[in-house]
Amino acid sequence: MNLHHYIQVYAVQIKNNFVREAVYRTNFLTALTVDIIWIGVEISLFSVLYSNTTTLAGWTQAQAYFFLGIFFASDALFTVFFQRNFWNFSDLVNKGELDILLTKPIHPLFLALTRSINITSVFNIFLGLGITAHFAHDAGFKGGMHWFGVGFWLLIGLLSATLLRFTFSIWVFWTDRSWALSRLYYQFFSFATKPDTLYPKAIRYLILSVLPFAFIGSVPARALLYGLSLNEYFLVFFVLISFFMINSFLWKFGLKKYQSASS
Amino acid sequence: MKLQWRLAALKNGFREATAYRIEFLFEIVGSAFVPAATQFVLWYALFQTGGASQIAGLSYSEMLHYTFVSLLFSQVRGGDHDFELQEMIRSGQLSNSLLRPVGVVEFIYLRGVAPRLFIAAFCLALGMIFSIYLGFSPMRLLGAMFLALIGNIIHYQIGAALSTTAFLWEEAYSILMVKNMIVNLLSGELIPLNLFPSSLQWIWKSTPFYLYVYGPTQYALGRWTHSEYLLQLGIAMIWIMAASLAIHLTWRLGMKRYLSLGG
Repeated sequence: MNLHHYIQVYAVQIKNNFVREAVYRTNFLTALTVDIIWIGVEISLFSVLYSNTTTLAGWTQAQAYFFLGIFFASDALFTVFFQRNFWNFSDLVNKGELDILLTKPIHPLFLALTRSINITSVFNIFLGLGITAHFAHDAGFKGGMHWFGVGFWLLIGLLSATLLRFTFSIWVFWTDRSWALSRLYYQFFSFATKPDTLYPKAIRYLILSVLPFAFIGSVPARALLYGLSLNEYFLVFFVLISFFMINSFLWKFGLKKYQSASS
Repeated sequence: MKLQWRLAALKNGFREATAYRIEFLFEIVGSAFVPAATQFVLWYALFQTGGASQIAGLSYSEMLHYTFVSLLFSQVRGGDHDFELQEMIRSGQLSNSLLRPVGVVEFIYLRGVAPRLFIAAFCLALGMIFSIYLGFSPMRLLGAMFLALIGNIIHYQIGAALSTTAFLWEEAYSILMVKNMIVNLLSGELIPLNLFPSSLQWIWKSTPFYLYVYGPTQYALGRWTHSEYLLQLGIAMIWIMAASLAIHLTWRLGMKRYLSLGG
């Protein structure tokens, strides 16, 4: 199968998802409400903190909101394209539903991770970008051509979240359920909701290397506001490549462990 | 018979939660470590990096004490059994429970609260040991844990009343998620509620959520007098009665609409 076929299959998946979302219209409104409340809670938390101080580890209030905007947009991208698929990943292995995907003339992982698209959350990408744009000037973002950098760093955020979520999900081949690991992912995910410079050295090292949650929003926001050093660019590249290779290895190893419907 | 089925429900709930031991352990570790680390990070950024000596009248060590003690109670407040109720209504599984000679709302609560009681006992023991080193009264800790358990009941009651929106719409998942997000901020498990600006203090004071984590922590740390504790216990009882009434009304209205074919 070549790239053209993959694009064709993906176009069909998008069409199917549009039909599904059109059927459940109430779901659109409720999901939207949940996301807006979540964004509201995160902004409220920072507002309360900044009512007691002017800067937080060097971040002014406007810079913290700029970071939140980038983080929300990056997370919304992940929600649109991958979140539901990862929630269903456990069932694929446990209930043997992966059998069907393995028989198709296309990479089974591609099918597993592209089946569900959460079109509702597209709104949140714009909401995040709106927050970013609103606080960009006060935060010291240079603007102009630098807005192209926003797109690039959002893709880095999406890639990081996908690789991390995969690392937390793949263990379902060895464990009975991956529910707790998924929950653990979301527990660690809260590290991504704060700028990485806030963290003490040990935790900061952790979220910039072994568990690179800082790549979802914090590093992109820092890169856009201040730029990164060459070492930091190398770190981002090296960590993401490493995660990709480890995940590829675990996937192959997991497939060998997979026992079809009785797994 | 009355006590027997309740004990059986508790036993059943505990067995179900611990059937997958690694998952159970992951859940406890994840839900304890990460929120504590997130709080610690904020205090570190404000006090150590930012150089503040006091925030909202609290010093660095007082904030750390708050973080540690609030952790004991935030483990008790949770539980997703209200989600189970909404799923039963949505999917029509509620019909099976209606045939049983037990109240479905109470049955689901008892089954869901069983692992929380185990965690509460563990946290209490842990708190008792540390109280020797941190210098707070073990008896206060006992009283605080009691208040946290009352908070657990209120939390479920509100969830049980909200879950009845599943009788009206396709599901109540989103509304329960919104409730949990608000609880996250207003229960005091993210930050001490006295950090709220004085003009906004009314927000958390007008909900029962502060009784889940912030209240018990204040009492355990000796920041509430015994009479203040008794007053808050009285307020908690009023919330329980109000929530019981809400459950009674919402379920009565909801059952009139229930079609037993998916709600």
